[in-house]
Formats: sequence, structure tokens, C-alpha cells
Amino acid sequence: MIGKVLSSDIIKIRRTWIWLLIFLGPFGVVSLQAINFSLRYDYLTKLYADDLWGGLLNNVQYLAAPALLFGITLIASMIAGLEHRLKSWKQLLALPVSRFHVFTAKFALNLILLLSACVLLAAGSILLGAGLGFGWDIPWQRLFIISFYPFFAAMPVLALQLWLSIVMRNQAIPLTCGIMGTILSLYSIKMPDWMPLKWPHLVNAADVPEYSVLAGLAAGAVIYTASLVHFARRDVN
Amino acid sequence: MSEYIIQTQGLTKQYGARKAVNQVTLNIRRGDIYGFLGPNGAGKTTTIRMLLGLIRPSQGRIHIFGKDLHKHRMSILKKVGSLVEYPSYYGHLTGYENLEAIRRILDVPKSRIDEVLSIVRLTQDAKRPVKGYSLGMKQRLGIACALLGQPELLILDEPTNGLDPSGILEIRELIKSMPQQHGITVLVSSHLLSEVEQMANRVGIIQHGEMVFQDTIDSLHNRAQHRIQIAVSNPEQAFRTLASSGCSAEFNEESLVLDYMPDNKVAAIVELLVRNNHSVYRVEEKRQSLEEMFLALTREGSRQ
Repeated sequence: MIGKVLSSDIIKIRRTWIWLLIFLGPFGVVSLQAINFSLRYDYLTKLYADDLWGGLLNNVQYLAAPALLFGITLIASMIAGLEHRLKSWKQLLALPVSRFHVFTAKFALNLILLLSACVLLAAGSILLGAGLGFGWDIPWQRLFIISFYPFFAAMPVLALQLWLSIVMRNQAIPLTCGIMGTILSLYSIKMPDWMPLKWPHLVNAADVPEYSVLAGLAAGAVIYTASLVHFARRDVN
Repeated sequence: MSEYIIQTQGLTKQYGARKAVNQVTLNIRRGDIYGFLGPNGAGKTTTIRMLLGLIRPSQGRIHIFGKDLHKHRMSILKKVGSLVEYPSYYGHLTGYENLEAIRRILDVPKSRIDEVLSIVRLTQDAKRPVKGYSLGMKQRLGIACALLGQPELLILDEPTNGLDPSGILEIRELIKSMPQQHGITVLVSSHLLSEVEQMANRVGIIQHGEMVFQDTIDSLHNRAQHRIQIAVSNPEQAFRTLASSGCSAEFNEESLVLDYMPDNKVAAIVELLVRNNHSVYRVEEKRQSLEEMFLALTREGSRQ
């Protein structure tokens, strides 16, 4: 049933800006790093002489975390906003489909879209490194970590943004929250470890990125469950 | 199985202290076109949303197809098609894609899309983006969406709202064809009695959240009062003439208006007028229009 709702949702985002956004996010991050590395090529290659790929990926990750949070905000708002703008929640929920499935399909759609963005980011990083002449000795594990871990660690943000976007008709509120979160996340490295906005940076006292991921997945599941319960019970006007 | 498709008991929805819908009892039979009438804000849409499970009643029970809506929501909604207020459509998609998005959820065969498109006569425009549709076409697309799942019950909330006369006529004909051609029971809401009168066989009138009338359209007609109107040369003098002989009447600029009376009494009054040198132009029996009755009924409700 979720599959049916999801395939219906995929039709709905045809010919929207959402697909372009999925491409633009990773493209922006990679091209900014391309500028960074091409302008300061000599300096940076000297700085990261021991581990050129590692240096590049760290730089990519540094930009990717806020871009990811901003992307989550925009995508969640666009997907929910589509239904708000057209006042189609009532039509959708009057169909023989449970609210659990409707909500979960929206969540899954966000996951799929943002995971595609992560894949694009990984691909873009490889192209950039190769283009900069760092060779083909790619640190796959590190690449996987910087491309996908921040997204898993950002699950609470995704769950929260999706809930806000679906519940609020006025998308200015979730957008403001999301943008504030994105800005805060720029400074979050200095914040304590329990701060969810810090998790996408994969920085913690123990220096184990998996801890940030696990915390993100757990908190994301809690927020998702709570918002699901709320969505299932609320009146649709 | 009960003969009622929709049955509600004591349906109430409370927002704070205000009861948007209060103790509403609806009885809709199979094959009915049920006109659900009331002025704007009377609780029609709230009631319809409760029937579709979009909002939870504060009190009361809803049975659709003889089953409790609360317990069997999914299996009931499978057989219900709905259009609540303005049609919801995805403007950037074509008419066909809009239907496809819903078809994927309903899981009906693809051929059904072409069927409903031809029922609402949108086949030729199916490949155009919906944002270029006229309001009437959007409304028809909304009805097509409602018909997609081959429903046994169609719930339409103000389907002719904002349409021009030809659009209204088109939707009305479409609705009228539902019970005969497709065996579909229809609940259609409107704030215009004249509108509902032309398609419904039963009506329910709601005012301030309470049902003030529920019966066949014929019995509504029968409740209409008959009056006698006599067009005379000088209504004011004629009124005095009648009054002096003990006959109560009202007058306006052109005529006298009397309560309904038997033929011989009408004859006596005409004779009286003629003897007193009034010219009698016309004697007419006037039926109170349903529109007036509707206003009277809803006004009664508002006094409570």
C-alpha cells in the first residue's frame, strides 16, 4: 500500500523544481569546492600532501552538512506544500488509504530524493578529485561516510521538518525553522554532543562518526513516530 | 442489510463552545439524489467531512452501507467517491496524470481513466495541463476523480459553486444521470435550493448545525403555502372595501393578497369588489416558491 501511495506521489512531483533541486544541491557543493581547490591549488595540495583525497572529502563534507539541512527543509516543504497549495489533503485522505501510509509515503519520498542527492554528491566528489589530478586511488569508505552518514545523522531534522511542513498550511514557518537550523548548524561543531544539529557534522567526543549516525536514526525514529500519531488523529480541513 | 446508504445518529461536532454540527440525523436511501441544503456556514461541509472520515465527530455515529464508519473506514471509502468544496488538482500535471495519481492509490485498471474521462467529456483535453482548464472543466475533472474508483456513493460538496449557467447545467445533467446509468447514490450539497430542486428527489435542510427539514422534495412542495392574488385598479381602496366587510387581506402596489380560500369565497370577494366599482384584472393562485420556503425555514432556525 505504501508503494501505491509512493508511486502516486512520484507522479505528482513530475515537472516540478524538486528534481532540479536534488541535482543543484550536490552540484553547488562540488562546484564550490572546485573553485576552492582551483584557486588555492598549490596551498591546499601542500597542506593535504599526505592525503589529498582525505583533504578534499573533508572540505566537501564541511559544506555538505549545511547544504543537506537546507535541502531537507526545502524538499520537505515542497512536497508537503504541493498538497497544501492545491488543498488536496482532503481529497487524498478521503481515498481508501490509511493516514499511516500517506505519511510514510511522504517520508519515503523525501528519503529517496535526498538519498539520490547523496549519491550525486558522492559521484561529484569522485569527479572533482579525479579532475584535480588526485588519481584514482579513491578512499571508498571515507567517501561513503561523508556522502551518506550526515544524511542519516540528520534524520531528526528531516522528521521534524516533514511534520512541520505537513501540519502547517503556511510554509513560512517550517522554512524559517529549517533555515534557522541550517544557520545554527554552521556553529554547531562547538555545541555539546547532545545537540542534534551537530550530528550531521559527525563530530563527537568519542570521535566515532557512527555514534552521530545512531543518535540521528534513533531520534529521527522517535520524532517520526510522534508526528505519525499526531497526523493520524488530526482533523483535516 | 438496511436500505439506507448513509445513516447518522446524533452527529455532533464541537469547536470550543460552538457546535458547528448539532445532533444531525441523515437518512439517505439507495438510488437517492439527496440534496443537502443550507446557507453558507450552516455545517454542510463539516458534516460531509465527518462522513468522509476527514474529521472526527465529537459525538454520534455514522453508518455508511450499514457499517460503522469508525470501524470500517477503509472498506467504506473504497466504495465512496467524493469532491469536497473546490476540486483538488495538481495544476502542473495533465488531466490524465491527475487521474493516474489517484488511480495508483485506488488500484483500478488503467482503462477506467478513459471511461471516467468520457463520462465527464474531458477525453479531448486529457493531455493538457490542468492549470489551463476552465473552472467548469476542473470541476468535471474533480467529478471524474470521484468516479474513478467505481463508487456506489458519490459525495459532492457544492459541485456547481462558481460555475456559469452552462457549466451548472452540465454538472446537473451529469449528476442526474448517476443513479440511472451507473447505479450510484448521490449526496450533493448546495446553498441554492433552486439548484438542488432540479436534481434531487430528497432534501435535507441544515441551519446553524441543526437539521430543520428532511423529506422528499414533493413533500417540501406540499408544505408550500398557497395564496390568492387579485390584481385590481386601486389596491388600497379595495383593501378598505374588504376590511369593512370583515375580510382580512394584504395589499401591495398592484394587487391584493389573500390567504388561500375555497372557490365560493373567492367568487364572493370578486363580486364584492365589482359592486364597489373596482376593476378586477386578474385572479391568481400563488404558490409560495420553494426558495421563499427555504428562506422561511432557515430564518426560523436562526431565531432559535
